[in-house]
Amino acid sequence: MGYGMGPMRIIVCLKQIRYTYARTGRDPRQSFLAPEDQISRVNPYDETALEWALRVRERHGEGEVFILTLGRLTAETDLRRCLAMGADGLYQIESDAPLDTWAKSGLLARAAKDLAADLVLCGKNSLDTGNGQIGAYLAHRLQRPFISAITDLAISKEDRKVRAQRKANRGSRQVIECRLPAIISVELGTAVPRMPSFADKKDALAAPITKLRYEDANHSRVTVRRVFPPRPRPKRIPTPPSHLASFERIGLLLGGSRVEKKGRLLEGSTELQVEGIISFLMKHGFIDSGR
Amino acid sequence: MLTAFDLLLIAGAIFIMGAGFRKRWAVLQLGRQERPRRDLVGLIRYLFGQARILQNRKAGWAHLAVFFGFLIPLLVIILAQFDFAMPAVIAFLLSLTAELLGLAMLAGLIYFLLRRLGSNEPRAPQKTILPVVVLLFMVVTGFLAEGARLAIIPNGFSWSAPVGWLLSLTLPNAPLMMQLLIRLHFFTLLVFLAMLPFTFMRHLVAGSLNVYYRRSGSPRAVKLLLLEAEPTGAKSIKDFTWQQLLEAEACVSCGRCDEHCPAYQAAKPLSPRKVMQDILCQMEQIGAHGSKWSTEGVPLLEEAISSEEIWSCTTCMACVAHCPLYIEPLDKIADLRRYKVMGQGRLPEEARKMVRDLELFRDVYGKGISLRADWAVNRQVPLISDDSTKVDVLFWVGCAGAFHPRYQQTARELVKVLQAGSVNFGILGKNEFCCGDPIHRLGDASIFLELARENIKQFNRHGVQRVLTLCPHCYNTLKNDYPRLGAVIEVEHASQFVARLIDEQRIQLKYPLEKTLTAHDPCYLGRANQIYEPLRQICRAVPRLILKELDRSRESAFCCGGGGGRMWLHDGLGRRINQLRAEEISRAGVDMVATACPYCVTMLEDGINSLAMEKQIKVFDIVELVSRAMK
Repeated sequence: MGYGMGPMRIIVCLKQIRYTYARTGRDPRQSFLAPEDQISRVNPYDETALEWALRVRERHGEGEVFILTLGRLTAETDLRRCLAMGADGLYQIESDAPLDTWAKSGLLARAAKDLAADLVLCGKNSLDTGNGQIGAYLAHRLQRPFISAITDLAISKEDRKVRAQRKANRGSRQVIECRLPAIISVELGTAVPRMPSFADKKDALAAPITKLRYEDANHSRVTVRRVFPPRPRPKRIPTPPSHLASFERIGLLLGGSRVEKKGRLLEGSTELQVEGIISFLMKHGFIDSGR
Repeated sequence: MLTAFDLLLIAGAIFIMGAGFRKRWAVLQLGRQERPRRDLVGLIRYLFGQARILQNRKAGWAHLAVFFGFLIPLLVIILAQFDFAMPAVIAFLLSLTAELLGLAMLAGLIYFLLRRLGSNEPRAPQKTILPVVVLLFMVVTGFLAEGARLAIIPNGFSWSAPVGWLLSLTLPNAPLMMQLLIRLHFFTLLVFLAMLPFTFMRHLVAGSLNVYYRRSGSPRAVKLLLLEAEPTGAKSIKDFTWQQLLEAEACVSCGRCDEHCPAYQAAKPLSPRKVMQDILCQMEQIGAHGSKWSTEGVPLLEEAISSEEIWSCTTCMACVAHCPLYIEPLDKIADLRRYKVMGQGRLPEEARKMVRDLELFRDVYGKGISLRADWAVNRQVPLISDDSTKVDVLFWVGCAGAFHPRYQQTARELVKVLQAGSVNFGILGKNEFCCGDPIHRLGDASIFLELARENIKQFNRHGVQRVLTLCPHCYNTLKNDYPRLGAVIEVEHASQFVARLIDEQRIQLKYPLEKTLTAHDPCYLGRANQIYEPLRQICRAVPRLILKELDRSRESAFCCGGGGGRMWLHDGLGRRINQLRAEEISRAGVDMVATACPYCVTMLEDGINSLAMEKQIKVFDIVELVSRAMK
């Protein structure tokens, strides 16, 4: 494959997610979700990744940016809006079976190979499952360098060196360098995704989506054993003793299960205090009383 | 008597004038064609009443004097060229009016000249002084000629020509000089005619035409543009309609728009006058190039008008309300914004989040429709749904009422008022989307249309006929834009509705409020829809409340600075508009200020807080005031 030659080919992985912003439903089996509690959208981290890809292409004055998505088109409108932001094409890996991250990364890696990507960008994690593994898995599968959660990106056109900035510990920043081809995952923040123009939006609505199909999905090494709705955890408040005055009982209820600290403050002269300590230690068996 | 040579001269002057106007007319034709409304009665009323021009007292009267001082004596002199017998009384009266008007015109011209010389505004039109001097010369020669004529035939003082008689005392009996002066007077008129199209004096023609073709009703910019018919905003002057270009031709750069423009007053980069003059300047450039423009390409509007300028506008419509020539700088700015956003996708970064929120969550705060009715929990607010009973009126809460913590309170107070007045109302709850006003003002009509169509679908589904809105921006959108998209609804703003409840005595305002209060007119209630009274009516209905008007109120009310999508844009340039208004309110010496708009409440509260006064002025929505007086 022609890495390192010709204009750069960037692939941005966009995940279509169902973002849950409220739980107004009444059915516990539905996890208290009403249909309108969720919106279908493209993962915002991935949108930022796309913005970075477009900026790189703009700065170079050449190159191509392709969008790659996996699975059914659950957020097609939003996906096409991303296309309208200025990507050159939209690829969809068809897959109906529910996949875990390892299997997904296999499919994405094969697509990235087929599309001869010099750079693969994806979001740091997604707003739905949020395990943030896809970038690392992809890098592993493709045997390429990986920079995670970047906040700034520059790629020199001549020697194809990537310089990325990321947030490090305690507010400091790291500048990390590597060579293309590479995989980079993107943090939210500095690059606000652009707005598509009306004409681009209209064009994108009619743009074709190239479908990719890979028969044998790689099977997983990590298995998800169970998915279950969280059970609401009751807050445990002991019944206040009935002999207390009402305002004290209310105070106890509002305070929740706060336990009074048991302890004794030693008072008196220094000798008395030292004696107190020694007797405490002896009583609890920290020191031997025999000596 | 006119000689053949004179006729030739007249023809020559008219030819030059015609050629000039033809060239400008050709530039106008570059604009999009649109079928205009014609209003001859309105034009005549405008010309002879000059009410719009008289909004500015001094300049208005001076203009009136110059207008009639030019027109009437001209007609008298033309009439005098035809030999016919006239009753002495009429001749006497005509002569006297001509003289008096001439005097008035002289005064007016001197006022204008001094005003122009005295002003040091950089954008004061360069070409205004010349025509004024020419007119001045015309008046002076006219009087001198009259004096010289009376000096030749001395028949003593006559009331028909007091000034002429006075002058004749100082002038010698010289027929040659009289001839010379009459010629001079005549030539000046010809020069004036010939230069009409080349100086700002073309407003005699362009301004009149603009008034003749002007639109009726609310300003164009608050009206919806339909996407199918309209291009996506204005890239070059060719994207304006020819009428919009005519407005630029008519602009005399008087600066009344600047005087009332909140952005200009706050030293922000916008000047509506400059926008109009920039458009005119580009038209002149194209006109000067003649036929070459088609090959060289027209200059783009963004070359002259920067994005800071167009994003500074609060769409308050003060420029529209105060233009003496019915020019609307606002719809040009709206077209420029539309091109920026829909044509180029270049919306300021900070506002993009709001656009995404609208696209995904259907409200400007990005909270989501599921939570839209949360403010009304446990308050017995009926929800309109498929199986609910029909209600009389739909309470359109709006994004601010549904989500903004401060304004949720107002929405609840309105519910109290409605319940007290036993109004059979309901809300749409989860089925209400943003009305689309913020994004419409920011320049994206496509998202606006999407939202509007969804909302109208809900209206039709639930058979909604009457709507009551809490926010003037919703009100304006529902009232002026939705009907064109197929909604058949009758819309009322909360202030109107509550004022009616008070009128019909369905609610009683019993509890007195011993405070002084002033009213701040929201732009989209006042200037856009001419609703000024309900606000004051309610204030007067509260016992013991003293209403004090601000200096700038009603038509001239100063904007709070939050409209036109400014709520979502950074405010880094110049001063803050809300602080200017807050200072004005604090100078009025009041305890409270009442308004009727979520933006105004927020902006004024912020502005007043920033003044850090000892006794803080409280900002209320008018609805809160009512519920307070009801308790």
